[in-house]
Amino acid sequence: MSSFLKRKSVIAFIVICLAAIFAPLLLPGEPSRVVGAPFARPLWWNLRLPANEEFYCDERGLAFDWDKLPPSVFTLTGRVTADPEETVEVVWVTPKNEFTLATLSGQSEYWLNLDARDMLFKQKLGLPLIGSGASRLFPSQGSYQLRLDGVDSANLELSLPGGRTGLLGTDQRGRDVFTLLMYGIRTSLIVGISATVIACVLGLAFGLAAGYIGGLTDALIMRAVDVLLSIPTLPILMVLAGIWGKGLWQLVFILSIFSWMGTARSVRSLVLTVRESPWVEGLKALGAKRSYILWRHLVPETAPIMLANLALGVPGAILSEAGLAFLGLSDPRLISWGRMLHEAQSFGAFTEGAWWLLLPPGLGIVILCLIFLDMGRWLEEKIDPRLGGGGDD
Amino acid sequence: MKRRWLTGRILSSLGVLAAVLVLNFLLFRIMPGDPVSTIIDPNFSPEAKAHLRALYGLDKPLVQQFFIYIRQMLTFRFGLSFLSGKPVWDELLSRLPGTLALMASSMVFSSVLGIWLGVKAALNRGKFIERLVLRAGAITASFPGFFVQLVLLMLFAREFPLFPLRGSVSVPPPDGGLTLTLDYVWHLALPVFSLTLMGFGGWALYVRNLMVRALGEDFVLMARARGLSESRVVYGHAFRTILPPILTILLMSVPGLVSGAVITESVFSLHGVGTFLLEAVSGHDYPAAGAAFYLLALMTVVSNFFADLVYGMVDPRVRIEGENR
Amino acid sequence: MIDVKELSVRYKGSETKAVKDVSFTLEQGSFTGLVGESGSGKTTIISSILGLLPHGTSISGSIAFEGNDLLSLSGDKLRELRWKRISLVPQGALNSFTPVLTIGRHIEEVLETHSGLKRTETGEKIAALLAECGLDAQAAKKYPHELSGGQKQRAAIALALACSPSLLLADEPTTALDVITQAGILKLLVGLRAERGLTVLLVTHDLPLAASVCDRLLVMKDGELIESGSPREIVTAPRRAYTKRLVEAML
Repeated sequence: MSSFLKRKSVIAFIVICLAAIFAPLLLPGEPSRVVGAPFARPLWWNLRLPANEEFYCDERGLAFDWDKLPPSVFTLTGRVTADPEETVEVVWVTPKNEFTLATLSGQSEYWLNLDARDMLFKQKLGLPLIGSGASRLFPSQGSYQLRLDGVDSANLELSLPGGRTGLLGTDQRGRDVFTLLMYGIRTSLIVGISATVIACVLGLAFGLAAGYIGGLTDALIMRAVDVLLSIPTLPILMVLAGIWGKGLWQLVFILSIFSWMGTARSVRSLVLTVRESPWVEGLKALGAKRSYILWRHLVPETAPIMLANLALGVPGAILSEAGLAFLGLSDPRLISWGRMLHEAQSFGAFTEGAWWLLLPPGLGIVILCLIFLDMGRWLEEKIDPRLGGGGDD
Repeated sequence: MKRRWLTGRILSSLGVLAAVLVLNFLLFRIMPGDPVSTIIDPNFSPEAKAHLRALYGLDKPLVQQFFIYIRQMLTFRFGLSFLSGKPVWDELLSRLPGTLALMASSMVFSSVLGIWLGVKAALNRGKFIERLVLRAGAITASFPGFFVQLVLLMLFAREFPLFPLRGSVSVPPPDGGLTLTLDYVWHLALPVFSLTLMGFGGWALYVRNLMVRALGEDFVLMARARGLSESRVVYGHAFRTILPPILTILLMSVPGLVSGAVITESVFSLHGVGTFLLEAVSGHDYPAAGAAFYLLALMTVVSNFFADLVYGMVDPRVRIEGENR
Repeated sequence: MIDVKELSVRYKGSETKAVKDVSFTLEQGSFTGLVGESGSGKTTIISSILGLLPHGTSISGSIAFEGNDLLSLSGDKLRELRWKRISLVPQGALNSFTPVLTIGRHIEEVLETHSGLKRTETGEKIAALLAECGLDAQAAKKYPHELSGGQKQRAAIALALACSPSLLLADEPTTALDVITQAGILKLLVGLRAERGLTVLLVTHDLPLAASVCDRLLVMKDGELIESGSPREIVTAPRRAYTKRLVEAML
């Protein structure tokens, strides 16, 4: 047991489980929260890009120096009060020119909500409609000013989400990738493990029935196994997901229906060997009931292969879930690594070159699979020492 | 004897096909919701709805629908797509070559590369190549293929724009037979490369194990005792003996190839049966989805049948002993 | 014609020697029996003669054959000698044939390799060889698993004779066969030796069997050659206790 716990894969597994449980508690915000500009790079990448900047502006206006590349987004929101007779002007002064962002009159209180991505905004300022508005508003490094003419009081926020945010950047909506990654662990683990557990239970049941009862039951079950194995897996999963809905538990159910066959076969052959063995014969001679033999003797015999099958089956389930999610056939509200990859592909990560949307979830899947495979192999070796890898076979 | 074995295999495959047909039928008929709800505008008059239902044969009793369905499937008359209104078979036909090309070329490349490496590894035990094969085999088995494909796409289509980002062919397609063919090949290059990369490891490991076992057999020692050259012993005797299982695995890999092709087509936005199935399933286009699924299942059943057939031809022991697997 | 001098063999990873300082000579045209229990080193001697011992085995001594010391020959030269000059009917003919090739193909192959015959020329020769060993010409088209035990053994002998060697090593050719088939095989071997002038070394654990056909017997125990002589001598006046026990067991 202690050698098991010392294995790197087991340590990694425990770490990941802990992350799955505690990260949602420790992370600052909801995964759906927008933390920055869309497709922002990780903070540690390309330091010439600005990180998120925010300025508060009162009636005296705002002045600051800007020494980086333009931000990705320019939004000015807040409240301004003025005399209804006065004309209020909100002017943005750049080192090269001036932009009148808003001209207001006739009210005592105005709520501003300006975003440089708006088409109307761009049109009003004479900016080209295609391309980043914010970068036009930041033509060069230098001093910038936000001037408020004719206001009594002002309470404004100038939000400049930059090209760099967070540990792993942001996705197409500006959500923090690291947060999404942590929340995704749960989905992969829950789906992977529960689908495999159910599949193993099904496989155990069918394998025992086929092996122990034999006869017609055996023939029927084995036929079913052959037929199910002849159906191409991913297409049938796609069809079922499309028909029965994309929810989490539907997915688990679908995955388990198509993974029990291998376990059933191994259990069946084990039962067939054990059934003929002398000590089972002896038990029968002593008058032991069939169910007694089954539960107290046969099932425990299967425990080792079941454990190994369990560990080795989880990667398959994780990959299937990821595959289906990648194809867009999983619950859109559920955060999963496959879904992240789907959104990366569908919403333009490639055009943006947003590798930070690809690598974290993908590597996460790989690492999780490798962990389970390693644990499974260790279990297999324990059962059958002849299977030790490499060298003589 | 041979004939009895052959009929046995044919019956078995037909049985599987029958099961697939029934499954396919039931799946699309017993799902929740009105199957024609996607194409029926709620504002349609009841007569129009009834007419549409009749058009798709959904107003008849289930048993009758079943027989119509069987006849349609066997004659490849798949009806009209819900989404496009066009005949499903035409769509599938236009996409079939692309999918087959993808599957065939990746199967050939990964198996040839894998077999060659596997034999080399078995002949050079303990050296670098064997360790490479053992590692590669272990790793590639567990990698999510589509992740590798996405990374390759990002690297070689975006960062270093050597290959196209999407599609089976450029838009607009070039004229001229040769340039057009080359364009197709250029578009297939990354997909096939990625599938080969994911596939060769398993092959190499499997063949290495088979070969190591074969080389340790008595008859190999005897072949050497008979003074045959080393290459003849290795290829004419050892390798020849492991050919039956290799061929079986080759044909048994087709179902996995089908699944791999579906994902690959999605990653690279290829014009194939897989993307068609995906669109149909996502859009609740039942005639199209049913037909695409049927086609893929048919490919699988046929290839499994050929696997058995070829095994029987290549391994003389099977024909006489019949199946005791 | 073959002279084994002080042959000692120790397998890799083994503490004891499988063969200890064994020396014997086989005269041209003789039919010698190498008798002993399993593990006495009989098969090791045969493997040494043909150079089939696994890598890492330590061997000392010499085996003189046609002017060569077999133990010091290079791989290529050894390959030339194999089957053309010395051939083997192995223990358990089951595994001596490659399961996916026909019997005929096996024979054809050695004919192509050693006698330089082309495929078109081999058909007759194969039929003749099979006939000589009491097999129908049809056997050439059969696969190893399609033959009975006795037929396989005959096929193995036919294969061994394909290139007309001068020395035939037969390792337990009759084990696992029924008594009648055994007799047939032995009769075949004796006949072949007479017709072809072969030198035969018959390896077996069955002393009475060897005594009935051989000119001379070599008795092995635990890797040592403990006694040698004519069958008559061995059976009527065994010198060593072990030999005595073997003889008594047969009576």
